[in-house]
Amino acid sequence: MAILLDRNCKIVVQGITGREASMVTKHTLDYGTPIVAGVTPGKGGQEVHGVPVYDTLRQACREHEINTAMVYVPPAFVLSAVMEAIDNGIKFIFIATENVPQHDVIKFLHIAREEGVRIVGPNSVGIISPGERMKLGAIGGDNPERCFVPGHVGVISRSGGMTAETAWMVKRAGYGVSTCVSIGGDALIGSPPKDLLALFEQDTDTQAVVTFSEPGTNFEEEMADFVREGGFTKPLISFVAGKFTETLPEGTVFGHAGAMIAGGMGKPSHKIEKLRDAGVHVADKFDDIITLLRQIL
Amino acid sequence: MARLLENQSKDILRQAGIPVPEYYVAGSPEQAAEIVEKLGKPVVLKALVPIGKRGKAGAIKFADNAEQARVLTGELLQMTVSKYPVQQVLVEEKLEIKEELYVSITIDRVKQLPVIIASLSGGIDVEELTKKHPEKVCTYYVHPWKGLFDYQSREIWAGLGVSGKRLVKLGGLLKKLYKVFEDYEAYILEINPLVVTTDDEIVAAASVMAIDDSAMFRHPELAGKVQMGTERAWRPLTDLEKKAVEVNEADPYRGTARYTEMEDGDIGFMCGGGGGSLLLFDALVEFGGRPANYSEFGGNPSDEKVYGLTKVILSKPGVKGLFVAQNITNNTQVDLVAKGVIRAIRELNIDPKDFPIVVREAGVNEETARRLFAEAGIEYYGDEITMTGAARRMVEKMKERYPGYGE
Repeated sequence: MAILLDRNCKIVVQGITGREASMVTKHTLDYGTPIVAGVTPGKGGQEVHGVPVYDTLRQACREHEINTAMVYVPPAFVLSAVMEAIDNGIKFIFIATENVPQHDVIKFLHIAREEGVRIVGPNSVGIISPGERMKLGAIGGDNPERCFVPGHVGVISRSGGMTAETAWMVKRAGYGVSTCVSIGGDALIGSPPKDLLALFEQDTDTQAVVTFSEPGTNFEEEMADFVREGGFTKPLISFVAGKFTETLPEGTVFGHAGAMIAGGMGKPSHKIEKLRDAGVHVADKFDDIITLLRQIL
Repeated sequence: MARLLENQSKDILRQAGIPVPEYYVAGSPEQAAEIVEKLGKPVVLKALVPIGKRGKAGAIKFADNAEQARVLTGELLQMTVSKYPVQQVLVEEKLEIKEELYVSITIDRVKQLPVIIASLSGGIDVEELTKKHPEKVCTYYVHPWKGLFDYQSREIWAGLGVSGKRLVKLGGLLKKLYKVFEDYEAYILEINPLVVTTDDEIVAAASVMAIDDSAMFRHPELAGKVQMGTERAWRPLTDLEKKAVEVNEADPYRGTARYTEMEDGDIGFMCGGGGGSLLLFDALVEFGGRPANYSEFGGNPSDEKVYGLTKVILSKPGVKGLFVAQNITNNTQVDLVAKGVIRAIRELNIDPKDFPIVVREAGVNEETARRLFAEAGIEYYGDEITMTGAARRMVEKMKERYPGYGE
């Protein structure tokens, strides 16, 4: 078992004919993950690496059973693509696109909440469950095995690149991963870490979770509260990057758009303190993740 | 987050039918004096810089006549506010203030909804007020699709105790403000103070407006007005930072390269990925290193872009070493990173035997990168060491080359 993905996922790629989407489609198929259809308006009838392309998602849904959407359209069209997926009854939507206007994001997140649709992203590099050989997004590229081997550690990362590096640390410690989720670097995203911890709690295949955090937002504070309230009872190891940003003037952004410290909220030191207080194993150095995993598992 | 200067946000408010004071922009003391002469009334002089808290910085002054305006504008133009040299001054008619209110509209990142914050106590630090007197502050969430209806904009003020004509006026004004927030896809729109004059007119006396940069493509009318890249703007860009922007913009569709100078420091920092670079900077500092800049690159940049960025990084005076590192990537062609870095080093006549360089790049075409770096005599690692390990090695190498380093 895994969270978010399993072998029953029937995936459609919205914007499949784009350069990156087409490459991701190939890598995903090579990994063994089924993509059943693609959508690009005006390109219906074509094929991308053997996957049939439709003009509209409605047409794709008529021909295929689809329950998962991967959004790879340009920022200006993300709102419409997500609404198209929701209106066609798709309950799980992954958004890779970066730089989606915030006014659009709050609009689709609002409808998603109302309709009980799960969204991961925007600006996510992907989700991968090596045990199921399922992945969404560019995660792992053409060589997922390098970092992602099957096992029982969940990974949640604010940074796309660090999702791979964190999974590789798990591998270096001698373990493997159950599901790794890049949640997206923006402040406005569909699935914050707390929501994913709730899923990992239920997942019998996951024995511990490692998170990679950055300054800004209050995701880590929420996680700490959730752990303290007993929402997540498995061992949790957290690393918070960007401590140096606290020495710089407030409001400056380093790293991702979501990494803005504002009004004193989102300081790494505060996150670390709250996580520690809640009993989370905080790694001072990133390499300590290896030691902590070996102590815990 | 792209900020507008106050005169620009006021242009927008005025077009939207929101009363603002009469205002002009002066670039010299003489211009300010002329404006006051023409206006024939007392004025407020504000330093026109893309940064808040000007009052506290002493960058807002009051003048009763043209001569005073000339002198005070001269003083303002000598000032630097939060490291921004003042180049222009906003000359505004001074309002006869009876009361000061507060209103702002932004996106609540936790609730993921637009939020209006209103208070009858304006002209102050609203964060403080919220803490001390939450009952004096109304926080109102808006449906992102339905927007703000007339009745809602009245409910907000009525809840704070406003009634009669003023309620209708304030309600109408808030509705217009919300429309500006939506139409321009603002990230924040703050009016502080929102002034009630002695004539019972309501006027937006001071405004702060920032636009979501990701939405700029839908607002060509704002091009050239907004201060792009102000998310790191605690000071104006340095020459090398401007140069790095040029390097990045020369090939905007392939990879990203961002560069921010730190005060002091001696290790040129060229690290990849938004999260990875944060980690690597922390790690260098923890081991006793002193990064001279913060640079993020990634998304598979061309060798030309890597070359340009490396040159910028090494051009800062006092840089005595170079750290090139990144998390294990799946799309960055590290052979191109190698080509770019090596070309810059050769061009600047840097000898890696004498100048500490550590590279940790694991990604596409790693074997080629390994060979190129080896041929150039540069210490290179793939995934045989961790990111933290690479940072440790960099500081060690600085200590080997510069005895007493970091002590």
